[in-house]
Amino acid sequence: MSTGAPRDRGDPVSEDAKAARVVLVVFFLSAATLANEIVLIRLLSFRFWPHFVPLIVSQAMLGFGGAGVALQIVRRRVERSPGRLFAWMVLLAAPAFDLAFRASQFVSFDPFLLLWDPVAWPRFGVFFFLLAVPFFLSGCAIAIPFAFLRLRPGPVYAASFAGSAAGALVALPFLMVAPTGGLLRLPLALGAVACAFVLSDKGGGLRKGRVAALCAVLFLTVIPPADLKLSPYKDLAAVRNLPGAREIASRFGISGDYRAVFAPGVHSAPGLSIRFAGEIPPQATLFADGEQRGIVPKDGGRKPPAYLGYFPAVLPYRLFEHPRVLQLGLRGTEGVLTAAANFASSVTVVEPAQELVRLVREDLSGFSGGWPRSLPVEIREEGARNFLARDRRIFDIIEAADISSATFSSLGVHATGETFLLTREGIRAALARLGEGGLLAFSGWLKAPPRENVKILRTIRAELSVARLVPAADRVAAIHGWGTFSVVARRTPFHPAEIDRVRRFCSDYGYSMVWPAAGAVAGGGAEERALREAVSDAMTGPPGERGTELFDLSPVTDDSPYFHRFLRLRTLPEFKRLLGSQWIPFVEWGIVFLVLSLGVSLVLAAMLLLLPAAFVRDGTGKAATISVAGYFSALGLAYMLVELTFLKAGILVLGDTIRAAGLAIGGFSFFSGIGSAVSGRWESERAMKRVFAGIAVCVVVGFVIFSAAASPLLARGWGMRTAAFVATLAPAAFLMGIPFPAAISRLAAAGGSAIPFAWAVNGFFSVAGASLASIGALWLGFRWTVVIGAVLYVMAGLLFQRVGREIRS
Amino acid sequence: MKIAIPLITIAAAVLSAALHPALATDEPYLQKRAAMVRDQIEREGVTDSRVLAAMRDVPRHLFVSPEYRSKAYEPYPLPIGEGQTISQPYVVGFMTQILRLKETDRVLEVGTGSGYQAAVAAKLAAEVYSVEILESLAVRSRRTLSDLGFRNVVLRQGDGYYGWEEKAPFDAIIVTCAGGHVPPPLLRQLRNGGRMIMPVGGPFMTQNLVFIEKDAQGAITHRNVLPVAFVRLLGH
Repeated sequence: MSTGAPRDRGDPVSEDAKAARVVLVVFFLSAATLANEIVLIRLLSFRFWPHFVPLIVSQAMLGFGGAGVALQIVRRRVERSPGRLFAWMVLLAAPAFDLAFRASQFVSFDPFLLLWDPVAWPRFGVFFFLLAVPFFLSGCAIAIPFAFLRLRPGPVYAASFAGSAAGALVALPFLMVAPTGGLLRLPLALGAVACAFVLSDKGGGLRKGRVAALCAVLFLTVIPPADLKLSPYKDLAAVRNLPGAREIASRFGISGDYRAVFAPGVHSAPGLSIRFAGEIPPQATLFADGEQRGIVPKDGGRKPPAYLGYFPAVLPYRLFEHPRVLQLGLRGTEGVLTAAANFASSVTVVEPAQELVRLVREDLSGFSGGWPRSLPVEIREEGARNFLARDRRIFDIIEAADISSATFSSLGVHATGETFLLTREGIRAALARLGEGGLLAFSGWLKAPPRENVKILRTIRAELSVARLVPAADRVAAIHGWGTFSVVARRTPFHPAEIDRVRRFCSDYGYSMVWPAAGAVAGGGAEERALREAVSDAMTGPPGERGTELFDLSPVTDDSPYFHRFLRLRTLPEFKRLLGSQWIPFVEWGIVFLVLSLGVSLVLAAMLLLLPAAFVRDGTGKAATISVAGYFSALGLAYMLVELTFLKAGILVLGDTIRAAGLAIGGFSFFSGIGSAVSGRWESERAMKRVFAGIAVCVVVGFVIFSAAASPLLARGWGMRTAAFVATLAPAAFLMGIPFPAAISRLAAAGGSAIPFAWAVNGFFSVAGASLASIGALWLGFRWTVVIGAVLYVMAGLLFQRVGREIRS
Repeated sequence: MKIAIPLITIAAAVLSAALHPALATDEPYLQKRAAMVRDQIEREGVTDSRVLAAMRDVPRHLFVSPEYRSKAYEPYPLPIGEGQTISQPYVVGFMTQILRLKETDRVLEVGTGSGYQAAVAAKLAAEVYSVEILESLAVRSRRTLSDLGFRNVVLRQGDGYYGWEEKAPFDAIIVTCAGGHVPPPLLRQLRNGGRMIMPVGGPFMTQNLVFIEKDAQGAITHRNVLPVAFVRLLGH
């Protein structure tokens, strides 16, 4: 297996046994690294917000890229004793999974200040650097076997892919059994296994040091995990700060970390009418990954509190007597109690987060008083779109959970989150489940300029028009209170008597009727006029996108399901011009972080890739040819574009993000691992032409088939959906595992000096690929993003034959 | 004599600074404060001369932690700890102006935070009662207001949702922390003819404000008001 690698002193074991052990170490270390990536997604989502997810991928791959650069710079030294360095990288990587995170918690870092406080940047850099350390160490350890130990790249890379697949698949069940604070024990344990294999290798010396490192790993696995320090701006942190706050229940699982906190200072009633003069009962607040998810009024099940009748969102209940209600998303017990307080005949709640359902139904039943006895309540644990496709029942009111919040949707934290329920296809599916006169209802916070309400109205109008239910304007009513709006739509036109009921409801509770237009409103300010004009335009104006609008309010589709993305990058200068110093509240932070992570990765890549050429006088400049850089950057970009787009599209069919992430990352890694393992058979230039052509075809065809099958698949069982998802990605993933080791083999044959450089390039451009995948999905859609990935593979194919050739010459 | 006057001035300044530590650090910020009022407040549509004068008087930098003092007059909110922020100057000016505070007014503030809004209001009204739920902020802002000599601000730690029943009714109520609804107890404690303002939004942004008035008969009306700068976004 070895091809004349430099020898570590005193190595008595056979080459094959040693190679097998190295492959095993790579397997476990890759598993640990991938598991670390997945648990960090949860941990940082909990500590901060989900927009940190692209950063995780970034720092992971930047660590890998940095490893390649470092190895290239110290190549001569590494060549003297690669086995020893390999062992130490493994031994240091394992404890680093835990220690780096613990250390990062000491960095007082406030993401909100990045836009205007230069001091926040160095802290951000330190935070980012600390989290990249374990990835750097594992990146070094994984690269050394094929860059310096000269093991065949195919099996090593296959072991890395297989380890990644195993890490992803083990991480998912681990999320169910380990509390959030203890999640890092998984990468730590997997790292410890890798360490154990290294420890038994007598080569490399410093045995006492190795034992000490392993003891450190074991010590970290038994001491209590680090307390998670939340950003002070997280909802959970704010409520915990209140006097008398106490956690009364908690659950964790694949879908998230759920907690219920009781604090006397919480009085949640978003948008409550100012006509309500009574008392709001004590409440427990529910949090999902630290963000407020719902409210549980104390003893509400025994008697629904009166305040629940005083919201604009109650409008559909004023138009339908004793309705059968479908609520998409569980909001504590408040949603069900609202239905009970407003005389629903039954309620079905669809909620994919099993742990949240158990928390509300079982753990909090003593506090809440259970569900109201007079109201039949059914809870279905599945994705909203899956339920709408599968269940053929008809409902009188279908309520989507609040589509905007007062805080974080304003800040654009969720701008990069997929919302398949609010796409045209989602609205179509919901409209199809409405009975005669049934109402589809949305509510949320008012914004100025108006956004969510206008976007949902345009989406509804588009779908009603496609179904020839025109004019759509006769089938919609919209009202607002002092802070929130409510929109109802149905398949049949509203009667004048019903519009009168809407008007009376508004009059009784102090709300304003926005649609049907009721003429000018006395005292209406600029905001009111703007809202009315926007709603009127959405209902009766020309259909299609308004290119001149500051915000993008066009309906979204399943191909780019980003309902909360309103920002048009090209209008940013206009914001600044109009608002001067006051423009910051309108920035969408999720997108800012995405673009930021792309910028950081590109700048770092440019800087670090030039380092070896600038400082190393050992032929690196020759090794780092444009062809090598072009080839491996194309591979890094393309792999991430394809993998992450499958992941994002998979969320719809698989029902939630974390399952889609586990299956996509695990599936791609597994099949790519097989591809890498057999890559030796396809290393000829002729065969590789077919491989690249095959990748392009399989990527595009696989994705098109998956997209086309998504709709019928939604109604199928979990097994069928999973199988279909994996089947469509498998051929592409298998072939995508071949190009990297095939090219590494060519570089090895040319002397191997460029291998660390290739590793670095691939790592850095994988970071850029991760950000670009999200940017592509946001602005181009999934299909075009996948096509770009396929084109990049074709471009890499054109460069393949030049890889290694220039170095040889 | 020509020399004596500046010397006396300097001596007075030194003495004043020594007696009042808060003022010792004010000098470098005077220009910044004047620029803030001119560029961020007045230019953006806050025209009430009393409000402008109050904001020129109150040393905003002393209401933020030392690490943020140099940024105290910049046009954005700043952290004050415990996940709370001091609002951007413009929003403070806008909220204060819309309340039309008179020298005889009794004002309730819910959410003392840094104490800056209370200080600005105290320059314009007779009495300011301020409630802060977080003890650490209450302690710090009480000290700051006391150091700066604000004798007409009374502060207590408690749940501002319930207002300050013993001191009610109030001519004006400022809710400085964004809330999900208008607390009914506050409406009850608002005097007939009183005004109330409350922001809607997250910790680092205010996109919207709700303004409530109680007429002479006790009838309540409300309207959303938009900071003037944001109106430009609407094209009106």
